[in-house]
Amino acid sequence: MNTTVNINLANTFFYIDEEAYKKLKNYLKAIKKSFESEEGCEEIMADIEARISELFTEKLKHERQVIGLLEVNEIIVIMGQPEDYVWEEASKKSKTNNSDSNSQKDKKLFRDGDDVYIGGVVSGIGHYLGIEPQWARLIALLLFLLSAGSFMIIYILLWIFIPEAKTTSEKLSMRGKSINISNIEQKIKEGLDDVTERVKNVDYEKVSGRFQSSVRSFFNGVGSLLLLFVRGVKNIIGAVFIIASCVILVELFIGFFSAGTLGFVSTHWFEFAEKTQTPFWLLSLAGFLCIGIPFFFPLFGGI
Amino acid sequence: MNIENTKAQMRKGVLEYCILSIIKKQNQYTSEILSTLKQGKMLVVEGTVYPLLTRLKNSELLSYHWEESTSGPPRKYYSITKKGVETLKELDQSWNDLHRAVTHITQSKKQTK
Repeated sequence: MNTTVNINLANTFFYIDEEAYKKLKNYLKAIKKSFESEEGCEEIMADIEARISELFTEKLKHERQVIGLLEVNEIIVIMGQPEDYVWEEASKKSKTNNSDSNSQKDKKLFRDGDDVYIGGVVSGIGHYLGIEPQWARLIALLLFLLSAGSFMIIYILLWIFIPEAKTTSEKLSMRGKSINISNIEQKIKEGLDDVTERVKNVDYEKVSGRFQSSVRSFFNGVGSLLLLFVRGVKNIIGAVFIIASCVILVELFIGFFSAGTLGFVSTHWFEFAEKTQTPFWLLSLAGFLCIGIPFFFPLFGGI
Repeated sequence: MNIENTKAQMRKGVLEYCILSIIKKQNQYTSEILSTLKQGKMLVVEGTVYPLLTRLKNSELLSYHWEESTSGPPRKYYSITKKGVETLKELDQSWNDLHRAVTHITQSKKQTK
């Protein structure tokens, strides 16, 4: 049993299998990329969609038939690969491709939205420096622990200032690959785009929602931590992550205090917070940023 | 050097010429143009044609209008413009020249053999 999707292709209504829908969508996207810069791109796409719609109509035997992968593949055979859509630029591009190989050095720094634990900063920097994200993360984790929290502030600043690689061309330049159609197409084929991204975004929203609420309950003391702990116990890995995050938490408290001496926060606040022992909004904000973020680790582990 | 690529390039080189000739004979909508081209084995995949039609239209060699169809959505009918007819004449000329030149070369080769 498969899920079907309803699509409107050139004002015609179709039932399409979910897998087939993904394929068709990626195909159309890859085609669009191949003449995106051209004048009348929208019009060309409209023509192509109209034709595909016409071909589907011809192929369907009755109105309620669902379009499957088979039909989509047939359409692609008829319509051709994205490369076939490129006209006279083809020869020019193959020439520029050679020079593009030099542009491998022209990497740009982006956050990696596909490979995220927190903000994709570390994996982005990893791509930039040519380090595997796992190793980059390990180094970052060590820095987290050793720098006593100041790394956290740097991280947050980087999070704010480094743009996320959203478009396929940005993703390719992040990895230092030259931007040409076959690369873009390959990228799309890899399915790193849209669908998986959206799935991850959903998780991300879920997680960020949860950790926001956990920061709110921070006022109630360590209750939230226990709550998270209980959640995390569901599996051992989750628990390990939580212990790790607790260690980070302690480190962060030190970082918190050093933040006063670093001048990020006024000393009045620092004294006040020490005397009263009750955090107010500034502390809650700082707490939100500094303490909430490591909660990603137990949460990701726990989920 | 890829032989398939060379073949494709050859076809592509005269594709604009063919499209203009087809439309000059009779106003046609996209699918008809495609089937005519396919019958003449000028096309392997349809994809190439769409950007080309739009480009010809944008350079004012073709114009189009929408026509209602009984069996589906409205169709885009292409017709050739004055400028298109002039261009076609030029292309006719250069095709004839090319054909002559190629025939001359290929046949003279046979004789030397």
